[in-house]
Amino acid sequence: MPDVDVLVVGAGPAGSVAALEARRAGPRCDVLLLERDRAVGAPVRCAEGVGDAGLREFANPDGAPWAARKISRVIFLAPDDTEVKVAERDVGWILDRTRFDAFLAGEAVAAGAHLSVGTEASGMSRTSDGRWAVTIRGPGGTDTVRARVVIGADGVETMVGRWAGLDTRVPSRDMESCAQYVVQGIEFDPDAIYLQFGDQIAPGGYAWLFPKGEGIANVGLGILALKSKGRSARDYLDAWIARRYPRGARLGYTVGGVIVHPTITRTTTDGVLIAGDAAHMVNPLSGGGIVNAMKAGRLAGRTAAQAIAQGDTSAGRLHGYHDAWMRMLGEDHLRYYRIKQALERLDDDFYDGLARTVNAIPQQKRTLGRIFAHALVKHPQLIPVAARFFV
Amino acid sequence: MALAKVAEVAVVDLNLCDRCGLCLPLCPPESIHLQFNTLVIDATTCTGCHKCIAPCPVRALSMVAS
Repeated sequence: MPDVDVLVVGAGPAGSVAALEARRAGPRCDVLLLERDRAVGAPVRCAEGVGDAGLREFANPDGAPWAARKISRVIFLAPDDTEVKVAERDVGWILDRTRFDAFLAGEAVAAGAHLSVGTEASGMSRTSDGRWAVTIRGPGGTDTVRARVVIGADGVETMVGRWAGLDTRVPSRDMESCAQYVVQGIEFDPDAIYLQFGDQIAPGGYAWLFPKGEGIANVGLGILALKSKGRSARDYLDAWIARRYPRGARLGYTVGGVIVHPTITRTTTDGVLIAGDAAHMVNPLSGGGIVNAMKAGRLAGRTAAQAIAQGDTSAGRLHGYHDAWMRMLGEDHLRYYRIKQALERLDDDFYDGLARTVNAIPQQKRTLGRIFAHALVKHPQLIPVAARFFV
Repeated sequence: MALAKVAEVAVVDLNLCDRCGLCLPLCPPESIHLQFNTLVIDATTCTGCHKCIAPCPVRALSMVAS
C-alpha cells in the first residue's frame, strides 16, 4: 500500500466527514478511509434520529433517499404512560443509516479520498521519521500503511485511541447498554418520536420509538447495567414491546453501547486525532451522537490537512482540535452530564407528577421556557437539577 | 514476568457475541480486543473485575475459574 498523509479509521459519520474535509482543506493530501465491515453503513447500530439544524450543516435531507422520515413532534411518556406532547416544529429526521453513511462516504470519495471496505486496522506504531505505521488487513491480505496523521473514528471500541496511548476507557455508570428492534405493523403517530422513562421500563436510560415510515419504527431502549437487577437490555425491551406493541412483527434487532460520558481528557497526541463516539462525543443526556460526530470529523479533517501543510503534526499543533471541540460542544456536554447525574436521583413518581404539570399547560403555549418555569415552581426537586447546569 | 493470580477471568461465547464493542472501553486493563471482527479476551491481563459482564446486551460474557 502506498503511504498516505491522512489515514482515517472508520467510515461512519465522523470518519467520512473527516476524510471529506481533509481533502477540501488540503487538496494535495492523500487521504485513505478504512471501513472494517464489508459495507459502509452496515450493520446499523443506531436509533437513527438526528436534529434538523445540525443535519443541514452537512447535507440537505429534503427528498433525500437516506432520509426515512421527517419528525415534527416529540411525545414523552411518563412511567405511568401519561402522554406529553412537547414540540411542534422542525424537530428532526429519522435517517436510513445504511444509505446515509454510504452517501457521506461517497462524498469523501468524490472529493478525492480513497475508501477501502472490509479493511481493518489491527495495530499501529511510530516510525523513526515521526509517522505512524498502521497494520491493516483487507481483501488483499495484510499490509502496512504509513501516515502522517491517523484519525481514529472507530466508534465505541476505539482501538486507535488505545494504540496511541490515550485513555478512552469508560466507567460502568456511563455506558448505556442498548437493544433495538425494527418493528412493523404497529400504530403510532408517524410524525412523532416517543420517549419513555421509568425505573421498571429502562433503568438509567429511556425507551424510544423512532418512526421509519407509517407502521414501521425503530423500537429500542438503553439501560444502565448497574441499575438493571440482572436483566439485559434485550430483556427490558422484550417486556416493553410485549406491553406496548404486542402485535408488531420484529423484523430485526441490533445491540450496542452508547457512551454517556464527557469527552475524553485528551483527544490528540502526536499524529493522532480521535473523533466521534471513540472520543466520547455523544450528548450524555440524550445519547445522540451523529451530528456531534460529523462536527468533530469536520474539525479533525481540517486540522489534519492544515497541520500537514505546515509540516507540523505534533501533539502541540493538533491540540487546537481539542480546544475547538470543547468550545463548540464539549463544554456543553459537561453541563448535560451534570444534569444527567442529578436526574438519576429522581424517581418514577416525580416523572408522573411532572407529566401532569406539563399537561396542565395548554399545548399551544407549551414552550420549553414555560415548561421549565412551571416545572420548577411545582417540583422543587428540580431546582438542584437546574442548578447543576450552571455549576 | 510473574503474574498476579486471579481467581476468575472473563470469557466470551462467540455464538452470542454481536461484536458491538461495548465491553472494550469498560475493561480497566484493556484486556478485551476486537481482532478481525472477533472478540478476544487476554486472560493473562484480565483482573476478574466483572465490569464487562452485566452491561453486555446479549449476555455473551461470563466468568470462569482461571
